[in-house]
Amino acid sequence: MHNNLKTQFCGLSLNSPIVLLSGCVGFGEEYTRIDGFSNADVGAVCLKGITLEPRLGNIPHRVCETPSGMINAIGLQNPGTHAVINNILPKLDKVETRFIINISGSSIEEYGEIAKRFDDTDIDAIEINISCPNVKEGGVAFGNDPDMSYQVVEICRKNTVKPIITKLSPNQTNIAFSAQRCIDAGTDGLAVINTLMGMAIDTKTKKPIIGNNQGGLSGPAIKPIALLKVHQVYQVSKHHNVPIIGQGGITTANDAIEFIIAGAATVGIGTALFYDPLVCHKINKGISQYLSDNNLGGVDELVGTLALNSTVLTCDTGINK
Amino acid sequence: MNKASRHSIKVCDCQILAHYQFEGEQYILTLASDMIAKATKPGQFVHITVSNSLAMRRPISIMSVDTENGTFDLLYKVVGEGTRQLSQRKVGDVLSVIGPIGNGFELTDKKRPLLIGGGVGMPPMIAIAQQTKDLDYQSFAILGSEVPFPFANKLADNNKDYQGATRTMPELEDWGIECRLASLQDFKGVFKGFVTDLASVYLEGLTTDERMQVEVYACGPHPMLVAVASLAKEYNLPCQVSLEENMACAVGGCAGCVVEVKTDQGIAMKRICVDGPVFDAYQVF
Repeated sequence: MHNNLKTQFCGLSLNSPIVLLSGCVGFGEEYTRIDGFSNADVGAVCLKGITLEPRLGNIPHRVCETPSGMINAIGLQNPGTHAVINNILPKLDKVETRFIINISGSSIEEYGEIAKRFDDTDIDAIEINISCPNVKEGGVAFGNDPDMSYQVVEICRKNTVKPIITKLSPNQTNIAFSAQRCIDAGTDGLAVINTLMGMAIDTKTKKPIIGNNQGGLSGPAIKPIALLKVHQVYQVSKHHNVPIIGQGGITTANDAIEFIIAGAATVGIGTALFYDPLVCHKINKGISQYLSDNNLGGVDELVGTLALNSTVLTCDTGINK
Repeated sequence: MNKASRHSIKVCDCQILAHYQFEGEQYILTLASDMIAKATKPGQFVHITVSNSLAMRRPISIMSVDTENGTFDLLYKVVGEGTRQLSQRKVGDVLSVIGPIGNGFELTDKKRPLLIGGGVGMPPMIAIAQQTKDLDYQSFAILGSEVPFPFANKLADNNKDYQGATRTMPELEDWGIECRLASLQDFKGVFKGFVTDLASVYLEGLTTDERMQVEVYACGPHPMLVAVASLAKEYNLPCQVSLEENMACAVGGCAGCVVEVKTDQGIAMKRICVDGPVFDAYQVF
């Protein structure tokens, strides 16, 4: 691993600024089926989204391709909090990387209950999912109302001393305001952004391709949107030293560097793995090279270094003369 | 996930060695990879990057392998944008391939495998035939297609006529595997009807003891698999089926490609990529 990639995030020491995203890598072990893949190559792995009780998830089709991306509606299929704590967490190789659990509740109290259960485990951090677009109780109702977001983060904060990361929805009017409320409620970090709601239709059957009718759009198609959202959230979070996991369509080192410049302290990789399971090597290498080429000691020196254009014309065009 | 699964799937750049088109927009693609050729079990598949412009790979079953030359063959039909773009790739092009993936078919102590493949579900049956050719099995293969078969069929050497089905796939004949063809179309020497109708003809021709030795293996369109499962139930035969579904990661990470399965603990959603693609038909249908 390249030395200049080591970084700190919400009090955790990470090998790399790469975080593997929830819902893309199962419960941490699945990608080790691939020869050449290692969790040691990433800073953290965010485990599949879980709920208090087991869930079967949505009916197929759960995924479909769209231009430069894909739609998914898995529906939080998971064995429930008890099974995750007792059967999955003990098997994780915690030497290789840091593990983050991703939680969804059907009520504010349920978020608090799950956070409390994980407080007593060796999980490294808790990501609060208030932005899953694919199930009624998936939290998007909490994520689209900044006051509800506040209450969810607040109750989790009361119930755990673990670092809390709040995953924000792009499907809302003012993401920066929402971020501010989550920070006020005590979140340690922010994940920006979850998927955008989308639909694809089979013109032969006139039915939506996704069993759930709609789903979350990910992949390169959403990168420019995600990048802007990170920039907007950073304008708030930088005043509180609350770091961001920048995510949405990152497939190359250059994409990752863009997110870091916009304000992300770490970068999330998800859909890109489906195309190239070994993409993390390339992204690590590219970020490390960029840091060296620009005489930067580490990722933290690059975070939020965006030099905005002056949007006011200052040159004398002579038009008004 | 058990530890043995670690590193079992390779990521390879595979050169296209041959790419033949058949009627009905069917193609047979030969790819080079010594690793995949040697590691593949019948029923496994590969996940292919067909084009840089598409965000998702495409899962395609492995039809046959040549371990000596380090190659493997795929049969696919153009059904959408991914397969359309794949069909345009030329000999010499290199494709990124992940594989081999999945739990393949399990050969059991039943010595008379009945292989039923429909359309692009034929490849895994051909893969089983290839595996059993040198073993102590007496396989019978039924291949069905509604477009012309993607091979030049020939009269079976044993001259047996299964209600009009007299012709076979030459490669299976070479391997010593008896095979007959079925279609709803009027193809010469091909059984006119469903693959399951031909399967009934075959099963009725066996003695009770012989029938006790049959295990059904099937891959094909969903309605065909439903019919095969029903036939297996009627004759009280064990039955393994290979399923397909839209697939994203293909390594069990995203739970995008699930099927509803009946288990002792109740209904479960199993991932077709790594829990399958082969399932016990009695658990699925």
